[in-house]
Amino acid sequence: MQTFRGYQRADGSVGIRNLIMIIAADECAEGIARAISEKTPGSVVVTNYNTCMYGGNEEMIGTMINAATNPNIAGALVINMGCGSIAPDLVAGPIRATGRPVETLTCIKESGTVSTIREGLKRIAAIVDHANATEMVDAPISKLFVGIKCGGSDTSSGIASNPSVGLAADKLIDMGASAVAGELLELLGCEHILKERAVTPEVFEKIEQLISDEEKRWHVEGTQVETMSVGNSIGGLTTIEEKSLGALAKTGSKPIQDILRINAKKLEKPDVPGMYLSETTMLCGGSAMHFAALGCQVILWTTGGAGFNNPIVPVIRVSGNSQLINEDIDIDATGIMRGEDSLENVSEEILKTLAGVINGEKTAIEDFGYAYCSLIQKDQRVERLLSIPAE
Amino acid sequence: MIKALRLNAADNVATLLEDAGKGETVLVISEQNESLGELKLLQAIPFGNKVALRPMNPEDHLIKGGVAVGKAIKPVPQGQLAHVQNIRSLNLDIPEVMINEIITQMEIEVD
Repeated sequence: MQTFRGYQRADGSVGIRNLIMIIAADECAEGIARAISEKTPGSVVVTNYNTCMYGGNEEMIGTMINAATNPNIAGALVINMGCGSIAPDLVAGPIRATGRPVETLTCIKESGTVSTIREGLKRIAAIVDHANATEMVDAPISKLFVGIKCGGSDTSSGIASNPSVGLAADKLIDMGASAVAGELLELLGCEHILKERAVTPEVFEKIEQLISDEEKRWHVEGTQVETMSVGNSIGGLTTIEEKSLGALAKTGSKPIQDILRINAKKLEKPDVPGMYLSETTMLCGGSAMHFAALGCQVILWTTGGAGFNNPIVPVIRVSGNSQLINEDIDIDATGIMRGEDSLENVSEEILKTLAGVINGEKTAIEDFGYAYCSLIQKDQRVERLLSIPAE
Repeated sequence: MIKALRLNAADNVATLLEDAGKGETVLVISEQNESLGELKLLQAIPFGNKVALRPMNPEDHLIKGGVAVGKAIKPVPQGQLAHVQNIRSLNLDIPEVMINEIITQMEIEVD
Protein backbone atom coordinates (compact mmCIF):
# COMPACT_ATOMS: atom_id res chain seq x y z
CA MET A 1 0.00 0.00 0.00
CA GLN A 2 2.35 2.72 -1.23
CA THR A 3 -0.18 4.88 -3.07
CA PHE A 4 -3.93 5.29 -3.42
CA ARG A 5 -6.11 6.59 -6.20
CA GLY A 6 -7.91 9.71 -5.06
CA TYR A 7 -9.35 13.13 -5.84
CA GLN A 8 -6.83 15.96 -5.98
CA ARG A 9 -7.96 19.12 -4.14
CA ALA A 10 -6.69 22.65 -4.72
CA ASP A 11 -5.25 22.77 -1.17
CA GLY A 12 -2.98 19.79 -1.87
CA SER A 13 -5.03 17.18 -0.03
CA VAL A 14 -6.37 14.07 -1.72
CA GLY A 15 -9.85 12.66 -1.04
CA ILE A 16 -10.94 9.05 -1.26
CA ARG A 17 -14.52 10.19 -1.96
CA ASN A 18 -15.84 13.06 -4.05
CA LEU A 19 -18.76 14.48 -2.07
CA ILE A 20 -20.64 17.75 -1.96
CA MET A 21 -21.61 19.11 1.43
CA ILE A 22 -24.88 20.91 1.97
CA ILE A 23 -24.73 22.80 5.23
CA ALA A 24 -27.84 23.92 7.07
CA ALA A 25 -26.17 26.64 9.13
CA ASP A 26 -29.22 26.74 11.38
CA GLU A 27 -31.73 23.97 12.02
CA CYS A 28 -34.55 25.88 10.32
CA ALA A 29 -32.73 25.46 7.00
CA GLU A 30 -32.51 21.67 7.33
CA GLY A 31 -35.66 20.86 5.32
CA ILE A 32 -34.36 22.94 2.43
CA ALA A 33 -30.93 21.26 2.62
CA ARG A 34 -32.53 17.79 2.57
CA ALA A 35 -34.79 18.65 -0.36
CA ILE A 36 -31.77 19.73 -2.41
CA SER A 37 -29.73 16.73 -1.29
CA GLU A 38 -32.45 14.27 -2.33
CA LYS A 39 -32.04 15.43 -5.91
CA THR A 40 -28.23 15.63 -5.75
CA PRO A 41 -26.46 12.24 -5.77
CA GLY A 42 -23.18 12.29 -3.85
CA SER A 43 -24.27 15.06 -1.50
CA VAL A 44 -24.24 14.94 2.29
CA VAL A 45 -26.24 17.16 4.63
CA VAL A 46 -24.69 18.65 7.75
CA THR A 47 -27.10 20.42 10.04
CA ASN A 48 -26.36 22.62 13.01
CA TYR A 49 -29.09 21.39 15.33
CA ASN A 50 -27.72 23.33 18.25
CA THR A 51 -28.88 26.88 17.74
CA CYS A 52 -29.17 29.62 15.15
CA MET A 53 -27.06 31.85 17.43
CA TYR A 54 -23.30 32.03 17.19
CA GLY A 55 -22.13 32.88 20.74
CA GLY A 56 -21.20 29.82 22.79
CA ASN A 57 -21.15 27.44 19.86
CA GLU A 58 -17.90 28.45 18.18
CA GLU A 59 -16.36 24.99 18.47
CA MET A 60 -19.30 23.35 16.74
CA ILE A 61 -19.36 25.88 13.91
CA GLY A 62 -15.58 25.59 13.49
CA THR A 63 -15.99 21.83 13.30
CA MET A 64 -18.63 22.22 10.56
CA ILE A 65 -16.36 24.51 8.55
CA ASN A 66 -13.38 22.18 8.90
CA ALA A 67 -15.48 19.14 7.99
CA ALA A 68 -16.40 20.93 4.76
CA THR A 69 -12.70 21.25 3.95
CA ASN A 70 -12.12 17.51 4.50
CA PRO A 71 -10.26 16.00 1.52
CA ASN A 72 -13.39 13.93 0.72
CA ILE A 73 -15.40 17.10 0.05
CA ALA A 74 -15.31 18.74 -3.40
CA GLY A 75 -17.42 21.81 -2.63
CA ALA A 76 -20.22 23.11 -0.46
CA LEU A 77 -23.58 24.84 -0.42
CA VAL A 78 -24.33 26.79 2.76
CA ILE A 79 -27.94 27.64 3.58
CA ASN A 80 -29.46 29.57 6.46
CA MET A 81 -32.91 30.86 7.28
CA GLY A 82 -31.82 34.45 7.72
CA CYS A 83 -33.28 35.52 11.06
CA GLY A 84 -30.54 33.98 13.24
CA SER A 85 -26.93 35.02 13.81
CA ILE A 86 -24.96 32.58 11.70
CA ALA A 87 -24.45 34.36 8.41
CA PRO A 88 -23.69 31.87 5.64
CA ASP A 89 -20.48 33.69 4.68
CA LEU A 90 -19.14 33.09 8.17
CA VAL A 91 -19.19 29.39 7.28
CA ALA A 92 -18.53 29.69 3.54
CA GLY A 93 -15.53 32.05 3.71
CA PRO A 94 -12.98 29.64 5.23
CA ILE A 95 -14.20 26.84 2.93
CA ARG A 96 -13.72 29.07 -0.13
CA ALA A 97 -10.19 29.88 1.08
CA THR A 98 -9.21 26.23 0.51
CA GLY A 99 -10.04 26.59 -3.19
CA ARG A 100 -13.34 24.73 -3.02
CA PRO A 101 -16.37 26.15 -4.82
CA VAL A 102 -18.96 27.39 -2.32
CA GLU A 103 -22.42 28.85 -2.78
CA THR A 104 -24.54 30.50 -0.10
CA LEU A 105 -28.30 30.98 0.16
CA THR A 106 -30.47 32.76 2.70
CA CYS A 107 -34.07 31.60 2.67
CA ILE A 108 -35.61 34.94 3.64
CA LYS A 109 -33.67 36.77 0.89
CA GLU A 110 -34.63 34.12 -1.67
CA SER A 111 -38.34 34.68 -0.99
CA GLY A 112 -39.01 31.47 0.86
CA THR A 113 -38.49 27.74 0.99
CA VAL A 114 -39.72 26.71 -2.44
CA SER A 115 -37.69 29.28 -4.33
CA THR A 116 -34.60 28.59 -2.17
CA ILE A 117 -34.81 24.90 -3.09
CA ARG A 118 -35.18 25.84 -6.77
CA GLU A 119 -32.22 28.23 -6.61
CA GLY A 120 -30.18 25.75 -4.55
CA LEU A 121 -30.62 23.04 -7.19
CA LYS A 122 -29.48 25.49 -9.84
CA ARG A 123 -26.39 26.57 -7.88
CA ILE A 124 -25.39 23.08 -6.78
CA ALA A 125 -25.25 21.97 -10.42
CA ALA A 126 -22.08 24.05 -10.90
CA ILE A 127 -20.50 22.42 -7.85
CA VAL A 128 -21.44 18.97 -9.17
CA ASP A 129 -19.75 19.87 -12.46
CA HIS A 130 -16.64 20.94 -10.56
CA ALA A 131 -16.65 17.67 -8.59
CA ASN A 132 -17.07 15.60 -11.74
CA ALA A 133 -14.18 17.42 -13.38
CA THR A 134 -11.85 16.82 -10.42
CA GLU A 135 -8.64 15.13 -11.46
CA MET A 136 -7.82 11.71 -10.02
CA VAL A 137 -4.22 11.08 -9.02
CA ASP A 138 -2.03 8.36 -7.55
CA ALA A 139 -1.37 9.89 -4.15
CA PRO A 140 1.44 8.80 -1.87
CA ILE A 141 0.35 7.05 1.31
CA SER A 142 1.69 10.06 3.24
CA LYS A 143 -1.51 11.85 2.14
CA LEU A 144 -3.60 9.35 4.10
CA PHE A 145 -4.92 10.30 7.56
CA VAL A 146 -6.84 7.57 9.35
CA GLY A 147 -9.19 8.14 12.29
CA ILE A 148 -9.30 5.39 14.90
CA LYS A 149 -12.27 4.98 17.18
CA CYS A 150 -13.79 2.36 19.45
CA GLY A 151 -17.46 2.17 20.35
CA GLY A 152 -19.87 -0.07 22.22
CA SER A 153 -16.74 -1.52 23.80
CA ASP A 154 -16.87 -4.89 25.47
CA THR A 155 -14.21 -7.30 26.61
CA SER A 156 -13.54 -8.47 23.03
CA SER A 157 -12.62 -4.91 22.04
CA GLY A 158 -9.63 -4.83 24.37
CA ILE A 159 -8.50 -8.36 23.52
CA ALA A 160 -9.19 -8.70 19.79
CA SER A 161 -10.33 -5.72 17.72
CA ASN A 162 -8.44 -2.86 19.44
CA PRO A 163 -5.00 -4.56 19.46
CA SER A 164 -5.52 -5.69 15.83
CA VAL A 165 -6.29 -2.14 14.78
CA GLY A 166 -3.35 -0.94 16.90
CA LEU A 167 -1.02 -3.27 15.04
CA ALA A 168 -2.48 -2.12 11.70
CA ALA A 169 -1.91 1.49 12.84
CA ASP A 170 1.73 0.71 13.65
CA LYS A 171 2.17 -0.70 10.13
CA LEU A 172 0.45 2.33 8.58
CA ILE A 173 2.80 4.67 10.44
CA ASP A 174 5.77 2.62 9.19
CA MET A 175 4.48 3.08 5.62
CA GLY A 176 4.40 6.86 6.15
CA ALA A 177 0.68 7.48 6.75
CA SER A 178 -0.76 9.29 9.77
CA ALA A 179 -3.43 8.19 12.21
CA VAL A 180 -5.32 9.78 15.07
CA ALA A 181 -7.38 8.51 17.99
CA GLY A 182 -9.47 10.53 20.42
CA GLU A 183 -11.71 10.07 23.44
CA LEU A 184 -9.47 11.49 26.12
CA LEU A 185 -11.64 10.52 29.10
CA GLU A 186 -11.02 6.93 28.07
CA LEU A 187 -7.29 7.44 28.48
CA LEU A 188 -7.78 8.14 32.18
CA GLY A 189 -5.46 5.75 34.02
CA CYS A 190 -3.15 5.32 31.00
CA GLU A 191 -0.99 8.35 31.76
CA HIS A 192 2.07 6.25 32.70
CA ILE A 193 2.02 4.58 29.26
CA LEU A 194 1.36 7.83 27.38
CA LYS A 195 4.29 9.45 29.17
CA GLU A 196 6.62 6.89 27.57
CA ARG A 197 5.09 7.37 24.12
CA ALA A 198 4.87 11.16 23.90
CA VAL A 199 7.68 12.49 21.67
CA THR A 200 8.54 15.26 24.14
CA PRO A 201 7.75 16.09 27.79
CA GLU A 202 5.76 19.09 26.45
CA VAL A 203 3.50 16.79 24.43
CA PHE A 204 2.97 14.62 27.52
CA GLU A 205 2.09 17.67 29.63
CA LYS A 206 -0.43 18.68 27.00
CA ILE A 207 -1.92 15.16 27.03
CA GLU A 208 -2.19 15.22 30.83
CA GLN A 209 -3.79 18.67 30.81
CA LEU A 210 -6.37 17.79 28.17
CA ILE A 211 -7.31 14.50 29.89
CA SER A 212 -7.84 16.45 33.10
CA ASP A 213 -9.94 19.08 31.24
CA GLU A 214 -12.07 16.29 29.85
CA GLU A 215 -12.48 14.81 33.31
CA LYS A 216 -13.70 18.25 34.51
CA ARG A 217 -16.10 18.42 31.63
CA TRP A 218 -17.69 15.09 32.43
CA HIS A 219 -17.28 14.93 36.18
CA VAL A 220 -18.46 17.97 38.05
CA GLU A 221 -18.12 17.48 41.82
CA GLY A 222 -21.44 16.60 43.37
CA THR A 223 -22.94 15.20 40.19
CA GLN A 224 -22.87 11.68 38.87
CA VAL A 225 -20.65 10.70 35.98
CA GLU A 226 -21.01 7.96 33.44
CA THR A 227 -17.50 6.95 32.54
CA MET A 228 -18.89 3.86 30.91
CA SER A 229 -22.25 2.62 29.74
CA VAL A 230 -24.33 -0.24 31.18
CA GLY A 231 -23.64 -1.99 27.86
CA ASN A 232 -19.89 -1.69 28.39
CA SER A 233 -20.23 -3.32 31.83
CA ILE A 234 -22.49 -6.14 30.75
CA GLY A 235 -19.93 -6.72 28.01
CA GLY A 236 -17.39 -7.44 30.74
CA LEU A 237 -15.73 -4.09 31.51
CA THR A 238 -15.65 -3.23 35.21
CA THR A 239 -13.78 0.07 35.56
CA ILE A 240 -12.80 3.08 33.45
CA GLU A 241 -9.14 2.03 33.74
CA GLU A 242 -9.93 -1.36 32.21
CA LYS A 243 -11.86 0.33 29.41
CA SER A 244 -9.05 2.86 28.97
CA LEU A 245 -6.35 0.23 28.52
CA GLY A 246 -8.46 -1.52 25.92
CA ALA A 247 -9.11 1.82 24.21
CA LEU A 248 -5.41 2.66 24.24
CA ALA A 249 -4.58 -0.63 22.49
CA LYS A 250 -6.15 0.70 19.28
CA THR A 251 -3.47 3.40 19.09
CA GLY A 252 -0.71 0.80 18.66
CA SER A 253 2.75 1.41 20.04
CA LYS A 254 4.32 4.16 17.93
CA PRO A 255 5.45 7.49 19.39
CA ILE A 256 2.67 10.05 19.88
CA GLN A 257 3.58 13.17 17.89
CA ASP A 258 1.04 15.51 19.41
CA ILE A 259 -2.45 15.84 20.76
CA LEU A 260 -4.63 17.81 18.38
CA ARG A 261 -6.90 20.31 20.10
CA ILE A 262 -10.42 20.99 18.91
CA ASN A 263 -11.97 24.02 20.58
CA ALA A 264 -13.55 27.40 19.99
CA LYS A 265 -10.25 29.03 19.03
CA LYS A 266 -8.42 26.35 17.10
CA LEU A 267 -8.56 23.05 15.34
CA GLU A 268 -5.05 21.64 15.14
CA LYS A 269 -3.90 19.45 12.26
CA PRO A 270 -0.90 17.15 12.05
CA ASP A 271 2.33 18.70 10.80
CA VAL A 272 4.56 15.62 10.61
CA PRO A 273 3.46 12.05 9.71
CA GLY A 274 2.83 9.68 12.60
CA MET A 275 0.45 8.71 15.38
CA TYR A 276 -1.63 11.41 17.05
CA LEU A 277 -4.15 11.76 19.83
CA SER A 278 -6.90 14.35 19.62
CA GLU A 279 -9.82 15.89 21.43
CA THR A 280 -12.41 14.06 19.29
CA THR A 281 -15.36 13.22 21.49
CA MET A 282 -15.83 9.68 22.81
CA LEU A 283 -19.45 9.79 21.60
CA CYS A 284 -19.47 7.89 18.32
CA GLY A 285 -21.74 9.99 16.09
CA GLY A 286 -20.16 13.31 17.08
CA SER A 287 -16.66 11.86 16.89
CA ALA A 288 -17.03 11.20 13.16
CA MET A 289 -17.69 14.90 12.67
CA HIS A 290 -14.53 15.69 14.66
CA PHE A 291 -12.51 13.17 12.60
CA ALA A 292 -13.90 14.74 9.42
CA ALA A 293 -12.85 18.19 10.70
CA LEU A 294 -9.33 16.99 11.44
CA GLY A 295 -9.09 15.84 7.82
CA CYS A 296 -9.32 12.04 8.18
CA GLN A 297 -10.44 10.40 4.94
CA VAL A 298 -11.42 7.10 6.58
CA ILE A 299 -12.16 5.72 10.06
CA LEU A 300 -11.21 2.35 11.53
CA TRP A 301 -13.85 1.58 14.12
CA THR A 302 -13.70 -1.29 16.57
CA THR A 303 -16.84 -2.43 18.28
CA GLY A 304 -18.34 -4.82 20.74
CA GLY A 305 -21.77 -3.29 20.26
CA ALA A 306 -23.83 -1.68 17.52
CA GLY A 307 -22.58 1.25 15.54
CA PHE A 308 -22.66 4.53 13.71
CA ASN A 309 -22.01 5.34 10.10
CA ASN A 310 -20.87 8.58 8.57
CA PRO A 311 -21.45 9.87 5.05
CA ILE A 312 -18.33 12.10 4.95
CA VAL A 313 -15.73 9.66 6.25
CA PRO A 314 -16.26 5.97 5.41
CA VAL A 315 -16.24 3.77 8.53
CA ILE A 316 -14.54 0.35 8.43
CA ARG A 317 -16.00 -1.81 11.18
CA VAL A 318 -13.91 -4.33 13.09
CA SER A 319 -15.40 -6.62 15.73
CA GLY A 320 -14.27 -9.51 17.91
CA ASN A 321 -17.73 -10.13 19.36
CA SER A 322 -19.20 -13.23 17.70
CA GLN A 323 -22.75 -12.19 18.63
CA LEU A 324 -22.26 -9.07 16.54
CA ILE A 325 -20.88 -10.54 13.37
CA ASN A 326 -23.31 -9.82 10.55
CA GLU A 327 -23.10 -8.20 7.14
CA ASP A 328 -22.46 -4.76 8.73
CA ILE A 329 -19.00 -5.79 9.91
CA ASP A 330 -16.07 -5.37 7.52
CA ILE A 331 -13.48 -7.28 9.58
CA ASP A 332 -14.19 -10.36 11.71
CA ALA A 333 -11.71 -10.55 14.59
CA THR A 334 -13.61 -13.25 16.52
CA GLY A 335 -10.95 -15.87 15.73
CA ILE A 336 -8.70 -14.14 18.25
CA MET A 337 -11.33 -14.60 20.96
CA ARG A 338 -11.42 -18.32 20.21
CA GLY A 339 -7.64 -18.61 20.24
CA GLU A 340 -7.75 -19.58 16.54
CA ASP A 341 -6.50 -16.43 14.85
CA SER A 342 -3.62 -14.04 15.48
CA LEU A 343 -3.43 -10.26 15.83
CA GLU A 344 -0.93 -10.35 12.96
CA ASN A 345 -3.43 -12.01 10.58
CA VAL A 346 -6.28 -9.72 11.52
CA SER A 347 -4.10 -6.61 11.20
CA GLU A 348 -3.21 -7.73 7.66
CA GLU A 349 -6.93 -8.21 6.90
CA ILE A 350 -7.60 -4.68 8.17
CA LEU A 351 -4.88 -3.24 5.89
CA LYS A 352 -6.24 -5.19 2.92
CA THR A 353 -9.76 -3.86 3.47
CA LEU A 354 -8.42 -0.35 4.09
CA ALA A 355 -6.48 -0.48 0.81
CA GLY A 356 -9.72 -1.38 -0.97
CA VAL A 357 -11.75 1.37 0.70
CA ILE A 358 -9.20 4.13 0.02
CA ASN A 359 -9.20 3.05 -3.61
CA GLY A 360 -12.96 3.39 -3.96
CA GLU A 361 -14.46 0.14 -2.64
CA LYS A 362 -17.48 0.70 -0.44
CA THR A 363 -17.49 -0.27 3.24
CA ALA A 364 -20.15 -2.79 4.32
CA ILE A 365 -22.74 -0.12 5.10
CA GLU A 366 -21.38 2.90 3.27
CA ASP A 367 -24.55 3.60 1.32
CA PHE A 368 -27.07 2.94 4.07
CA GLY A 369 -28.69 5.52 6.23
CA TYR A 370 -27.17 8.83 7.07
CA ALA A 371 -25.54 10.37 10.07
CA TYR A 372 -26.92 13.70 11.16
CA CYS A 373 -23.41 15.06 11.49
CA SER A 374 -24.59 17.11 14.39
CA LEU A 375 -22.18 17.89 17.17
CA ILE A 376 -22.85 19.49 20.50
CA GLN A 377 -19.69 19.24 22.53
CA LYS A 378 -18.05 22.25 24.09
CA ASP A 379 -20.50 25.05 24.70
CA GLN A 380 -18.18 27.98 25.43
CA ARG A 381 -20.45 29.26 28.18
CA VAL A 382 -20.18 25.95 30.05
CA GLU A 383 -16.44 25.73 29.37
CA ARG A 384 -16.03 29.11 30.99
CA LEU A 385 -17.95 28.00 34.10
CA LEU A 386 -15.66 24.97 34.36
CA SER A 387 -12.57 27.21 34.01
CA ILE A 388 -11.40 25.34 30.93
CA PRO A 389 -9.43 27.77 28.74
CA ALA A 390 -9.98 27.69 24.98
CA GLU A 391 -6.43 28.75 24.13
CA MET B 1 -13.88 -27.25 28.09
CA ILE B 2 -14.72 -23.57 28.46
CA LYS B 3 -11.60 -21.41 28.39
CA ALA B 4 -10.61 -18.33 30.34
CA LEU B 5 -7.83 -16.12 28.96
CA ARG B 6 -5.12 -14.71 31.23
CA LEU B 7 -3.49 -11.81 29.38
CA ASN B 8 -0.34 -11.36 31.48
CA ALA B 9 1.61 -13.45 33.98
CA ALA B 10 1.06 -10.76 36.63
CA ASP B 11 -2.75 -10.91 36.27
CA ASN B 12 -4.99 -12.07 39.10
CA VAL B 13 -7.99 -12.45 36.78
CA ALA B 14 -8.77 -14.31 33.55
CA THR B 15 -11.46 -13.44 30.99
CA LEU B 16 -14.14 -16.04 30.16
CA LEU B 17 -14.27 -16.79 26.42
CA GLU B 18 -17.78 -18.33 26.71
CA ASP B 19 -20.66 -18.21 29.19
CA ALA B 20 -20.00 -20.55 32.11
CA GLY B 21 -22.35 -21.75 34.87
CA LYS B 22 -21.93 -21.94 38.62
CA GLY B 23 -19.75 -24.86 39.70
CA GLU B 24 -18.37 -25.35 36.21
CA THR B 25 -14.64 -26.01 35.76
CA VAL B 26 -12.84 -23.84 33.21
CA LEU B 27 -9.43 -24.12 31.59
CA VAL B 28 -7.23 -21.08 32.14
CA ILE B 29 -5.00 -20.36 29.14
CA SER B 30 -2.24 -17.86 28.44
CA GLU B 31 -2.19 -15.47 25.48
CA GLN B 32 -0.06 -18.06 23.67
CA ASN B 33 -2.88 -20.60 24.18
CA GLU B 34 -0.86 -22.61 26.74
CA SER B 35 -2.79 -24.37 29.47
CA LEU B 36 -2.27 -22.81 32.89
CA GLY B 37 -4.52 -25.19 34.82
CA GLU B 38 -8.17 -25.61 35.73
CA LEU B 39 -10.38 -23.56 37.99
CA LYS B 40 -13.82 -24.17 39.49
CA LEU B 41 -16.25 -21.22 39.26
CA LEU B 42 -18.06 -20.21 42.46
CA GLN B 43 -20.79 -18.47 40.47
CA ALA B 44 -22.05 -18.12 36.90
CA ILE B 45 -19.78 -15.90 34.77
CA PRO B 46 -20.90 -14.68 31.34
CA PHE B 47 -18.68 -14.36 28.26
CA GLY B 48 -16.18 -11.53 28.49
CA ASN B 49 -16.28 -11.21 32.26
CA LYS B 50 -13.46 -11.92 34.69
CA VAL B 51 -12.84 -14.71 37.16
CA ALA B 52 -10.47 -14.26 40.13
CA LEU B 53 -7.43 -16.53 39.74
CA ARG B 54 -6.26 -15.77 43.29
CA PRO B 55 -8.15 -14.50 46.30
CA MET B 56 -8.24 -10.71 46.69
CA ASN B 57 -8.68 -8.77 49.93
CA PRO B 58 -10.32 -5.34 50.18
CA GLU B 59 -8.03 -2.66 48.67
CA ASP B 60 -6.06 -5.29 46.69
CA HIS B 61 -5.57 -4.25 43.08
CA LEU B 62 -7.24 -6.10 40.25
CA ILE B 63 -4.47 -6.73 37.71
CA LYS B 64 -5.40 -7.28 34.05
CA GLY B 65 -2.99 -7.09 31.14
CA GLY B 66 -0.24 -6.54 33.71
CA VAL B 67 -1.78 -3.27 34.91
CA ALA B 68 -3.84 -2.33 37.98
CA VAL B 69 -7.28 -1.42 36.64
CA GLY B 70 -9.34 -1.48 39.87
CA LYS B 71 -9.44 -2.45 43.52
CA ALA B 72 -11.46 -4.92 45.56
CA ILE B 73 -14.05 -3.49 47.95
CA LYS B 74 -14.73 -6.83 49.64
CA PRO B 75 -12.99 -10.22 49.78
CA VAL B 76 -13.03 -11.88 46.35
CA PRO B 77 -12.35 -15.61 46.64
CA GLN B 78 -10.64 -17.57 43.86
CA GLY B 79 -13.22 -18.63 41.25
CA GLN B 80 -15.53 -15.65 41.95
CA LEU B 81 -16.73 -13.18 39.32
CA ALA B 82 -14.61 -10.01 39.64
CA HIS B 83 -16.96 -7.22 38.53
CA VAL B 84 -18.99 -4.22 39.66
CA GLN B 85 -20.34 -5.97 42.79
CA ASN B 86 -16.86 -6.36 44.33
CA ILE B 87 -14.47 -4.12 42.33
CA ARG B 88 -14.25 -0.31 42.05
CA SER B 89 -12.27 2.10 39.89
CA LEU B 90 -9.00 3.55 41.17
CA ASN B 91 -9.98 6.94 39.72
CA LEU B 92 -13.61 7.58 38.87
CA ASP B 93 -16.59 5.36 39.64
CA ILE B 94 -19.84 4.98 37.80
CA PRO B 95 -22.97 5.94 39.81
CA GLU B 96 -24.24 3.45 42.39
CA VAL B 97 -27.65 3.37 40.67
CA MET B 98 -25.95 2.11 37.49
CA ILE B 99 -23.96 -0.48 39.43
CA ASN B 100 -27.24 -1.82 40.81
CA GLU B 101 -28.76 -1.79 37.32
CA ILE B 102 -25.81 -3.80 35.96
CA ILE B 103 -26.07 -6.30 38.84
CA THR B 104 -29.81 -6.70 38.14
CA GLN B 105 -29.48 -6.99 34.36
CA MET B 106 -26.61 -9.49 34.61
CA GLU B 107 -28.35 -11.40 37.44
CA ILE B 108 -25.12 -11.35 39.44
CA GLU B 109 -25.20 -13.37 42.67
CA VAL B 110 -24.21 -10.93 45.41
CA ASP B 111 -23.11 -12.44 48.72
